[in-house]
Amino acid sequence: MLSRSVLSWLPGLLVLGLILLGLELAVETGWVRRALMPPPTAIALTLWDLLASGEFVAPLLSTMELVFTGFAIGSALGIAGGLAMGWFPAVFRLLEPLVELMRPIPKAALVPPLMLFLGIGTTMKVTSVALAVLFPVLVNTLQGVRGTDRVMLDAARTHGWGTAHTLRHLVLPAALPFILAGMRISLGLALVLAVLAEMLSGQGGLGFLILDMQRSFLIRQMYAWLIILAVLGLALNGLFLLAERRALHWQPQSN
Amino acid sequence: MDFLELEGITKEFPSRSGPPARVMERVSFSVREGEFMAVLGPSGCGKSTLLQMAAGLLPPSSGEARIGGRRVDGPPPEAVYVFQQYTRSLLPWRNVRDNVAFAVEHRIGRRRARAAAEVQLAQVGLAGFGDHFPWQLSGGMQQRVAIARALAAEPALLLMDEPFSAVDALTRLDLQALILDIWTQRKLTVMLVTHDVEEAIYLADRIAMLTRRPTTLAEIVEVGLPRPRDPIATRELPRFLELRHDLLGKLLTRHAV
Repeated sequence: MLSRSVLSWLPGLLVLGLILLGLELAVETGWVRRALMPPPTAIALTLWDLLASGEFVAPLLSTMELVFTGFAIGSALGIAGGLAMGWFPAVFRLLEPLVELMRPIPKAALVPPLMLFLGIGTTMKVTSVALAVLFPVLVNTLQGVRGTDRVMLDAARTHGWGTAHTLRHLVLPAALPFILAGMRISLGLALVLAVLAEMLSGQGGLGFLILDMQRSFLIRQMYAWLIILAVLGLALNGLFLLAERRALHWQPQSN
Repeated sequence: MDFLELEGITKEFPSRSGPPARVMERVSFSVREGEFMAVLGPSGCGKSTLLQMAAGLLPPSSGEARIGGRRVDGPPPEAVYVFQQYTRSLLPWRNVRDNVAFAVEHRIGRRRARAAAEVQLAQVGLAGFGDHFPWQLSGGMQQRVAIARALAAEPALLLMDEPFSAVDALTRLDLQALILDIWTQRKLTVMLVTHDVEEAIYLADRIAMLTRRPTTLAEIVEVGLPRPRDPIATRELPRFLELRHDLLGKLLTRHAV
């Protein structure tokens, strides 16, 4: 079982290894300018230094905290808004124009105006991330709520369920697969906005460091931080898939 | 004494072009306390619509339903509706025990509701299946779960919408026997909608025959077969055969036109 999964990974890892080897040779033979692209082995050494010295911990934690806080706030608002809009027609009529106006704006473009109002501190960064997270979660929640089976809702009615109990124990779990799909999209956006907000605010976290290293011509460090960011993205995605599978454990496994 | 009274029930649905479509026209009849009433009619005649109006799930356009003398506006506590589509009425993310607890958890809390659920599951022959999920059970067993859920609410009136139409013939006989047992033990009042003539005769005290759309009440037939009923012997009685001949003939004529 394990050996088979390792075997299925092998071709992909081989391609990755070949690219790194090719890059190494390209730099050694002078094909690629060393100033722009240090050899992978040199980057690996720099990365090792960052890891061994523990220097990576504070910036990584700073970015993670930003992503988690923004993601949590944006998701909570998105779920609450989607539930309210999906369930109460009056709320839908009230908020739909606003949502449709805000939704297509790339949230990255909102960071500069947000800086005007909120400065360059944590509030601005968290708000940027939360705004990016909010809309995909809200729209998916809305769709999930509206798709709740009529028969299921009638079953709750004939047993005398009230609105609050129905929303909490029927509509929310019924919409959960949709909500989680929206949150998965939002997680990627959260990371993008976190890095961008850090870059524009010029302080704290992995995004700031990548830009700062590039400006200081510390190219190896830049790549090393980039790799740490990539691993963070990978880990967050893996963590989310795990949580999603746990939340939807009741679904019959089709494969 | 009449327990469920339907009086002048008329139903119209809005249509996109022109005036609203009238699907039901002044249907009036009553179900006595403790009676087993079947509602029989050709498919598409609005039997389920009538049942939903009795259950307070759908408002009539005019006329009214009364349960225990009180006008129905919204689902009344003494009646529970059992749905034809058990795959859609059970919650797929809940195991069988929690699906039955569904009936009372909002009144007595999760923990006591689960204990009550175990009792009902034993009654419908599903003791030990509490931890299974609905999709792990056969259709017949899922409908048993739905029946256990309805019973957990301890209703006085059970409104059943073609509850056995989606299971195979043998399972249907089992479920019919089960529902007769429960009806006898708990002294329930039952109104069951079906398009199956034999099912109506086998189960019911009286049968309300409906017409095609716009639906009206054609007649009420007194079954008059002895109880307890037997899945084989009852179906061979002269009275059973006579009723089957008569009702099937009427149903076919109404269906054909």
